[in-house]
Amino acid sequence: MEYLASNKIAIVDLATRDIMEEELDDDLVLERIGGAGITKSLYDRFADEVPIVLGTGLLTGSLVPGSSLGVITAKSPSTGRVSHVPLSLDAGMELKYSGFDYIVIKGTSEKPVYLWIHDGILDLNDAEDLWGKDVWSATDHIRDLMGDDLIQVLGIGEAGEKGSDLAQICINYWQSGDRMGFGNLFGKKRLKLIAMRGMGLLEIAEPEEFVEKCGGLLSAVKSGGAANIRGIAAMAAAFGEEDIEGWLKPLTHKHMACFNTSVPTNTFVFLDEDPALLKETTVKEPGFLLTDIAPLLALKRLGLTAADACHVLKACAKFGIDGAAVAELSEKTGLTDPEAIKGSLPNLKGPASSSGDAVFSPWAAVGNQEKDAWMRRQAVAYIFGLHPLFALMAPELNEEKLLDISSLGTELELTQETLDEVIADITG
Amino acid sequence: MGLKIDALTCTACMACELACGYHRDDAFALLSSCIVPYRAREKKNYIGIILKEEDSLIAARPEGTEINRIGEEQDPEKEADASAKPMLLRESCDLCEDLDDGPLCIKFCPVNAISMA
Repeated sequence: MEYLASNKIAIVDLATRDIMEEELDDDLVLERIGGAGITKSLYDRFADEVPIVLGTGLLTGSLVPGSSLGVITAKSPSTGRVSHVPLSLDAGMELKYSGFDYIVIKGTSEKPVYLWIHDGILDLNDAEDLWGKDVWSATDHIRDLMGDDLIQVLGIGEAGEKGSDLAQICINYWQSGDRMGFGNLFGKKRLKLIAMRGMGLLEIAEPEEFVEKCGGLLSAVKSGGAANIRGIAAMAAAFGEEDIEGWLKPLTHKHMACFNTSVPTNTFVFLDEDPALLKETTVKEPGFLLTDIAPLLALKRLGLTAADACHVLKACAKFGIDGAAVAELSEKTGLTDPEAIKGSLPNLKGPASSSGDAVFSPWAAVGNQEKDAWMRRQAVAYIFGLHPLFALMAPELNEEKLLDISSLGTELELTQETLDEVIADITG
Repeated sequence: MGLKIDALTCTACMACELACGYHRDDAFALLSSCIVPYRAREKKNYIGIILKEEDSLIAARPEGTEINRIGEEQDPEKEADASAKPMLLRESCDLCEDLDDGPLCIKFCPVNAISMA
């Protein structure tokens, strides 16, 4: 695969520590397009070996608006279904530029390990020093060790290490869209984290025309319905959820976007610093990045203040546990005291309905959306590598335009028929 | 005439960095960009944008813009950050002078945080 890709698939056996590489064949892309289309295909190929498959969308890392998405495909220990979770923020982009389009991780390591993916090289390293660290400490450790604060980390905390079915793979210091208990899979394989960093280059088949079309798509989005949405609260309100903007405002520092995503869907709150401060704070850990609306809304419904809710979510991120599940189970057991909720984390057990009933993480199931339409739009997002929430907010990026720009960028004839087939396969 | 960057409006999406990298390499790449959102203070959420110009390094910080002349002695107390390719080694901003529509970073910024000065 010459264009918009690194042209590499890695197959990592944690048991034997063998790492093999294959080319990303044009035929596979013509048949499965990208993202979850290919991760599902790779999952099926290695299904007997309990694989976790990381991947990126066909357009991830390009100038197509919203092209931030990475994907993890695996069998959810919570639901038993082969499922797909989103890698947002800068993780999807970093995976794409790290030199691998897809990574299959199979087998179980005897001892704790971590994957270090950098510029087309994949190292499997001992993680004895990391095992037992919370998510934040582990990310700090890796960044200090490698001397690079821009390394993107997919890691687990104590929840994953101890086999909780509510364990989440976190991105750097923050909650991710993993509601499927994939953190438990990492823990079972004794995979503490995946660290990624790359300065790759993606060739484009028709660069001028491709980038011109990207500009056109961005203009359409900027004049569309999502144009003025800023931050997690505004996004939730736009989807018809409870308006929590006023509740959150006293803590709000800044709204942050995922890679090349026009709508900033994340909000950084300051908990131990004045949110109005503009210069760099001297406080080491002044706050938290809110990346998931559902647990925030649920904790508000429990009667928590915004500060207490954010402190609980910060604790969830450090522990590596799904905040939505924590909020749900706290409500079921009548826990409303934030300290009690935080104290319950080590012993919290499911089941929780936060995994949803679809193959895609319900992280992007905000508001009341028609199920079939939501599923199709998620499938499109996960195949092309678009931010799943942004994809719902930007209908301007329709299937025809995505196929057209993909064909232009890759010189491959990608058809609506193929897209329909891939969608049918991955949505079951 | 140069670029004006509003760090308060910036959402650190890196579209400018990618667009500039494309301008340099005719491919999608980040190593050659002369405009880079500064992301190394993630836990503090301190975000600025660095721009390499011919004679200066512009740091658009939330609290104001700082212009550092290249070649002048910098504050030795200031901690240097890891970077994939130090800004001083990168090419200077040419305002995409070969393009009819002007700077690509302006065109691709989704929140209009960059404009012509």
